[in-house]
Amino acid sequence: MRSYSETEAVDFVIVGTGAGGGTLAARLAEAGFSVIAMDAGPYWRPLEDFASDETHQEKLYWTDERIVDGEHPIKLGSNNSGKSVGGSTVHFAMVSLRFRPEHFKARTKLGYGADWPVDWREMWRYYAEVEDALKIAGPVRYPWGPHRGRYPYRAHPLNAAAEYLARGAEALGIDWTETPLATLSAPRGKAHPCVYRGFCVTGCSTNAKQSVLVTWLPRALAAGAEIRDLAMVGQIETKNGRVTGVQYHREGEWRFQPARNVIVAGYAIETPRLLLNSANGEFPNGLANSSGLVGKNLMVQLNQAVWGIVEDEVRSYKGPPSLAISEHWNYEDRGKDYFGGWSYMSQGPLPITWARTLSGGRGLWGQALIDEMARVNHSVGLKMVGEVLPDERNRVTLADECDQYGLRIPRVTFAFRDNEKAMIRHALDFMDQSLAATGATERWQESDDTCHLNGTARMGNDPATSVVNSDCRSWDIPNLWICDGSIFPTVGGVNPSLTIQAMACRTADRILLANHEAS
Amino acid sequence: MEDVPSRNLVASLVAAGAATLASSVLADSALEHYRGSFRNPAMVLPLAAAGLGIVVNAGRALGRDEGRSIGISSHVGSMGVGATGLGFHAYNILKRPTAGGMNGLFYAAPAGAPAALILSGLLGRTADTLRARPAEQRDAIGRPLAVICAVGLLGTVAEAGLLHFRGAYHNPFMWLPIVLPPMAATALARDAASGSAHPMTQMLLGATVALGLVGVGFHIYGVARNMGGWRNWRQNILAGPPVPAPPAFTGLALAGLGALLLLRQRKEHHG
Amino acid sequence: MADRYPDYDVLAKSDTLSWNPVTRKVIAERMATAEPDILSPEQHATLRRLIERIVPQPDNRPPVNTVALLLHRIMANRPDGYRHHRLPPLREAWTIGLAAIDAEAQARHGQPFALLSNREADDLLRAIEASETQAEAWQDFPPALFWSWRLIPDIVSAYYAHPSAWSAMGFGGPASPRGYVRLLANRRDPWEAREEGNHHGA
Repeated sequence: MRSYSETEAVDFVIVGTGAGGGTLAARLAEAGFSVIAMDAGPYWRPLEDFASDETHQEKLYWTDERIVDGEHPIKLGSNNSGKSVGGSTVHFAMVSLRFRPEHFKARTKLGYGADWPVDWREMWRYYAEVEDALKIAGPVRYPWGPHRGRYPYRAHPLNAAAEYLARGAEALGIDWTETPLATLSAPRGKAHPCVYRGFCVTGCSTNAKQSVLVTWLPRALAAGAEIRDLAMVGQIETKNGRVTGVQYHREGEWRFQPARNVIVAGYAIETPRLLLNSANGEFPNGLANSSGLVGKNLMVQLNQAVWGIVEDEVRSYKGPPSLAISEHWNYEDRGKDYFGGWSYMSQGPLPITWARTLSGGRGLWGQALIDEMARVNHSVGLKMVGEVLPDERNRVTLADECDQYGLRIPRVTFAFRDNEKAMIRHALDFMDQSLAATGATERWQESDDTCHLNGTARMGNDPATSVVNSDCRSWDIPNLWICDGSIFPTVGGVNPSLTIQAMACRTADRILLANHEAS
Repeated sequence: MEDVPSRNLVASLVAAGAATLASSVLADSALEHYRGSFRNPAMVLPLAAAGLGIVVNAGRALGRDEGRSIGISSHVGSMGVGATGLGFHAYNILKRPTAGGMNGLFYAAPAGAPAALILSGLLGRTADTLRARPAEQRDAIGRPLAVICAVGLLGTVAEAGLLHFRGAYHNPFMWLPIVLPPMAATALARDAASGSAHPMTQMLLGATVALGLVGVGFHIYGVARNMGGWRNWRQNILAGPPVPAPPAFTGLALAGLGALLLLRQRKEHHG
Repeated sequence: MADRYPDYDVLAKSDTLSWNPVTRKVIAERMATAEPDILSPEQHATLRRLIERIVPQPDNRPPVNTVALLLHRIMANRPDGYRHHRLPPLREAWTIGLAAIDAEAQARHGQPFALLSNREADDLLRAIEASETQAEAWQDFPPALFWSWRLIPDIVSAYYAHPSAWSAMGFGGPASPRGYVRLLANRRDPWEAREEGNHHGA
């Protein structure tokens, strides 16, 4: 790996190496820029470092102290933020979905939320680029939305849990399909195909998972980028209205890396936290924050589920957790008393996750918990990924407490509003019908889970109502960019990783174009 | 006198083809039905039928004769079990949820596999007929035999094409069985239509014989490409590409070479 | 309920391809974890009794060292990345919480929690769960929040990190490099648990 000195400015310092930052590191380095991508977490070697164990693999999560409050304080860590090179894609569930085209223009086409300042047809091209880079294994024909090219790899076999989704959907007369997944269904280079070990969300120990760690970052390194791991960026410095570099903590001391451009890609909590923590005399309210929107409009996604018991041995610990999906309610607007869309997928919880679900969501403890846990191989469930509307009251601010680096920690405030509550009601009822149609009994509803983080530095066409423009460049500081889930004006009813990567590819092209025009 | 070696050669080629097909079926169905945990007792039938087919047809190919009645029961048995298998496999595919329709085709019981057992029985029966008939009546078998082999090859191509599509043709060599055997089958069908044997057809069939054997090597390598490699054989022999499948091409091409010889003799006798 | 997987022991697979070296090391260390001496004897006894009631030991299997695993977690005091604004950091929350549970037992029964009968202990725990506590100790320490954000998740996470708990639920356990082949309903690989009274599969 190439390494750059701290005495000379590089073209780009990228803060974060996940879906946004890792993708950009590859694309910008390949375009010939000098790039350092920093990550607060370590650079894992999955084949040697990853155990098949939920507890041990907590090392992948962002577990630094954060305060959560609001009417529905959200739980973080496992399913929404990572502290590893590769970011949370190291432990994501690999679900790789495109937005519904109308969701890019939710305000004008569907009457809620905000519009994205980009055209879906352009995004469609970048989606295809990312799908090919990740060799997404998807169905031969995708039942919803406009035409898309063939997925590079074929879909994986269904497991029993996925068949339960399929049978339920067929009974209710709606479409379902094999979930497009970023894990290999055939060999690729040195990577083996998926062995269906089922520990996907605790990190893939076989490298079948096409995370940023094994896709974009090797490309970035090959093109001369430096990945600086265990480097916690604490402050972005500015001078005369432009950023000059980053203060970062590594090997026990604070250091400074000068840069001609800085791209913040720390996901929807760390990104606003860094921008706010970087407040200085020039920018007393934090960087890129003339609109006052940095940290506001935090959007998680609804992650409610319905579970039941069946006679079959389902053994949902086998295979990727979400092999089948229905996006019906992302594309169907009739019959809803709320805005937005949702999808739902089959599930395969590991023991600790399942124990926490039964004890937290269903209130089981004592022998009742132990007995119910013993029936896990006959349990089957459906879980939604649902759209949360942007609301400025849901936000990330700075708490007074400081963390191990001496940086003020984030305070995350969240509440479901009426729209979310209506969507949850509808989704739980629908998923319950689907499970019932397959003969599942003793059904119960897990009603408070959430996943994913988006929207705290939204993009838009107006500096008064957005933080970055359509190129992900901040309105206030021309050489400061933000490119991760934070820039989402709305989240749709699909997992965000594919859209973040597509947007990163687009941003790289916009930077190239701007650079070309300038020279 | 000069007729005798070629008669033996043709019947031996066809019987060898039948034996090779039966070997492929035996190993493949043993593996795949082990994957299916032999849930249905009938899943042992193709093993028994193919096993008997190997003994009978290999004997015939080497010039031995275990007797007419055991031959007939073996050949008819193979065809019967194969036909029943087609029904079972079709049911297995159709009872899965369908979605775009491909997941069942990719991962349920393979539709084409039992057909190989039917072909093996058919070829074995043909080899027996060749041995039994007087020389002047044998040439007439050339054309139907060529058609059977050509159709069988195309069916096998369809199966390989589907399963290599499932593997996303990640290795360019995966195109070989999609490209070469159809050329051989087309050439053979053309020769059957015209009643004459072209040297090019012989070359293509010979290459297809080799392809089936090379394919085993590729599939052994393919198993090694899975996590844990051959050390993890209990998983990977099932998860990787089927090692015994490619010789189906070899068996059909061998019999095709027999058909080609008959076409040549017919030309010599009648042309 | 009777063990559904009486002939299954996930540890029997530890020398097979289902366990890679790092997994073997991690699990061996976990099973050998002893109880660190970080609490007062009274609090230690309270924690032990609490864990007995929340996650009873499996029958006929090696006991789970939940107390040791949780004590290590408390000792490390490593945050989990989301602290409810009304709760203090992990170690402090447990220290206050255990004292409050004992105070509640004293208030209700005049003796420490560790000495309560099963029924008394469970009634007391249900009161915490429902925020119907009597003791002064809960004044600035919301019992239901402590229950759902700390007590329950920490205890069940420690218990279900142990192979005995996995075996009892018929979970396949660690799986790398070897995963699974037979994914459909009622199918299992030879290296998976056989369910008593269920004759499906391999």
